[in-house]
Amino acid sequence: VSSQQFAALTEVLFRFLTEPKEVERFLTQLSDFATMNKISLGPVKNIVKSILLVPNGALKRNLSSEQVRADFIALGLSEEKASYFAEQWKVNSPTLTRLAVGQTLMINQLIDMEWKFGVTAGSSELEKVGSIFLQLKLVVKKGSQLENVYVELTLPQFYSFLHEMERVKTSLESFS
Amino acid sequence: QLVSALHNLTRHVVYRGLTRAEDILCLFPENFHQNLKNLLTKIILENISAWRNEAQASQISLPRLVDMDWRVDIKTSSDSIIRMAVPTCLLQLKIQEDAALCGNNPVVSALTVELSKETLDTMLEGLGRIRDQLSAVASK
Repeated sequence: VSSQQFAALTEVLFRFLTEPKEVERFLTQLSDFATMNKISLGPVKNIVKSILLVPNGALKRNLSSEQVRADFIALGLSEEKASYFAEQWKVNSPTLTRLAVGQTLMINQLIDMEWKFGVTAGSSELEKVGSIFLQLKLVVKKGSQLENVYVELTLPQFYSFLHEMERVKTSLESFS
Repeated sequence: QLVSALHNLTRHVVYRGLTRAEDILCLFPENFHQNLKNLLTKIILENISAWRNEAQASQISLPRLVDMDWRVDIKTSSDSIIRMAVPTCLLQLKIQEDAALCGNNPVVSALTVELSKETLDTMLEGLGRIRDQLSAVASK
């Protein structure tokens, strides 16, 4: 495989790694590559599979681009190609790391929050009320389903909730 | 019959929000015993704000927040990355179902929600907007 072909293949690989949902596009680009370079698809797929092992392992173990380069050279790739790949790795690793962290398990993740507030005008017990209520709708992801949770808060509760959330933010920021 | 009449009287007073002795006194019929009338009015006036608060508390409503707790964890490792240090927040909300539906045994459920830093920032933005809207309404 010449350097140019390798560069093109690497580009296709990284584009897939940064957008793992675009599987069809990746496969189309791979077969385009194969036809353009008169290599049959089977060997290309095999090469790609073995190449993909390196970035996936590297991501898990937070390897630096130096270490990625060394890994490739150990696998028998020429220095030039290994350096090129390592360069691409350095450029793409923040995105890839962020993606991996994003995949980490989250319990009952909060997806969205909507609210409305208004005034209770009257009720069957009290003719004129005039008290303010706040209603929150929290969209929570339980497993693979979304669940809506409705909660009502009084004003004092809202202010103390806001206060507590600000304390959480300070706490999270001190750990970043 | 007596209890029922008293009940109706107090409900009426609470419903209308009567707070002055004169308003309550004129509810009684013409030839009602004077001292009894005054005594009843006095007792009603003493209890009126407690009754109003209770009526408001047991209004129908969406489930209400009764308590909240939070904790911040640091995620150090997962199956996709072996080493990391990502802070995350766990928020526990204790929610009580509509009091009117549960009678004397209100059901309190606890919902634990996880928020990433980005989600928390977005939430705080939303809460800030609520606060601004509330002060705009209050100052009118």
